Amino acid sequence: MFNLFRMDLYRMKRSRSVYVCLGLLLLASAFVYTMMWLLAVPQGQETAIRIGMLTAAEAQDYQMILDGVDTLEMFRQISLDGGAYCAIFGICVILFVCMDYKSGFVKNIMALYQNRWIYVGSKLLAAATLNILYLLLNYLFVLLLNGLFGKMIPWADLRDVLFYMAWIWLLTTAFAGLLLLICVCARSTAAGVLAAILLGSGTIVDILNQIFALFHLGDWMKYSIYMTISAGPSKYTSLQDLRVFALGAGFLILYSLLAGIVLQKRDI
Amino acid sequence: MKEQEKGLAVEAVCLTKMYQKKAAVNRLDMSVREGEIYGFIGKNGAGKSTTMKMLCGLARPAEGEIRLFGKPVSDPAVRRRMGVLIEAPGLYPNMTARQNAVMKARCMGLADERSVDEALLLAGLADTGKKKVKHFSMGMKQRLGVALAMLGNPDLLILDEPINGLDPEGIRELRRLVLRLHETGKTILISSHILGELSKISTVYGIIKDGQMIEQITSEALEEKCMDYFQIEADDVSRALVLIGEAFPKVRAEVADSRLVRVYGLSEGAGLIRLLVEKQVQVYASGFHHMDLEEYFISRMEGGRADV
Repeated sequence: MFNLFRMDLYRMKRSRSVYVCLGLLLLASAFVYTMMWLLAVPQGQETAIRIGMLTAAEAQDYQMILDGVDTLEMFRQISLDGGAYCAIFGICVILFVCMDYKSGFVKNIMALYQNRWIYVGSKLLAAATLNILYLLLNYLFVLLLNGLFGKMIPWADLRDVLFYMAWIWLLTTAFAGLLLLICVCARSTAAGVLAAILLGSGTIVDILNQIFALFHLGDWMKYSIYMTISAGPSKYTSLQDLRVFALGAGFLILYSLLAGIVLQKRDI
Repeated sequence: MKEQEKGLAVEAVCLTKMYQKKAAVNRLDMSVREGEIYGFIGKNGAGKSTTMKMLCGLARPAEGEIRLFGKPVSDPAVRRRMGVLIEAPGLYPNMTARQNAVMKARCMGLADERSVDEALLLAGLADTGKKKVKHFSMGMKQRLGVALAMLGNPDLLILDEPINGLDPEGIRELRRLVLRLHETGKTILISSHILGELSKISTVYGIIKDGQMIEQITSEALEEKCMDYFQIEADDVSRALVLIGEAFPKVRAEVADSRLVRVYGLSEGAGLIRLLVEKQVQVYASGFHHMDLEEYFISRMEGGRADV
């Protein structure tokens, strides 16, 4: 498995889509930070009024917008809670995995490894590595922006950051497991990218939520990956907060097992 | 070492593959001895690629057993002794030839990248530099596919249609490469539609029809079977056949089609033609022929010569 993982890392380093997706994430953070500075910081508001973006009356309303927001909360709201991170990271995972099939290189791999679990394991390992890099670089970029914009919001507690990063990493890796399953079933980049956008942005979950609500089963959707990412805890306060880890691990195991079973059953 | 003493590189017994209740490969038996160049022949859709995919572990047989070098195909150690090129070569288009080869080497766990350079050199792709595979010609891609198959110095190469898309020069280069690899003791299982090419390199042939192996034959045995024959084009083939049988009891004659008779074991044709003309059988054309692999293959496919 580690041979395949080494191979994936080699390709990842040379894959343009990995850098494009990271660029999009950082760009989104830079855009939101700039907007927040223009809307909520007095210095920025002056600029916004000068360029006709805001009126003085509106500027008053926006002054409270950053109250209670620290860097972790800002990071969550920019990237994770709305589903942008999952959609972009998901697209990257799809492009990476589906390229094996599109290029036919998967034949070279599978001719060497008849145990398909090795392939699933290596892809998940690669996705988990990319995920932690994306999350850390994205958060570090938020910290950098905060410094550049004159400490617009307070720094988050490091323990909270570590707690949040740990469970969000597990859940988003589970999301990558779901996309891997879609990839090995559909073997189509277009279908995979569509799935990454619809699932990552929460569109599917919202639709299912509406349907389940008709049967008074809407509560079940709070256990979905999307809802958990949106509503999960930012800091550890009680044992109940550890539920997100169980959910992440559960989904990761479930989707990995399904992907492995599909791969074992289907020809290349 | 005598042929019979060599071990089997590939042994498939009763191999069956079903696609929606239809057998693509039907109880196929195949034996490839170590050191052979095994030419695998069959029409489109006969089951060549499916068989080769099963041998490589890319497709799961519904029934049957595959052994490589005496061990089950599922054995990871034995899979490392095999290099494959199935259908189109699997290459990442946005990477260079070397990067693709390094990828395969890492996948195999090869620590030394010298083997990558050696394989590229052998395939004539050592000087492609930073050119990406998507800008390669079909022939270059095929050669890179073969180079990838050769990584790790495998004992068995399974090449499915490796000369597809190659120009005459490319075909000649690949032929030389296959012969060079054969000289180093490698076993090569190769399929191609270009029978003339296969006949230049193969030491053994396997003919597949409708998913079944109809014949496995060595090149020497094939040469014997592809004996010279005298062919006559006549208006009344049944009468000609009777006359030949009466006048030349030691030769064997058969009807090839409604106007053609083939006579085997005849040293000269003038006497036969004279006889037919005297007996008022119209002869339009005649001459000696030697059957090549293509003709032999077609005769086997059509079942025209059940006795060969």
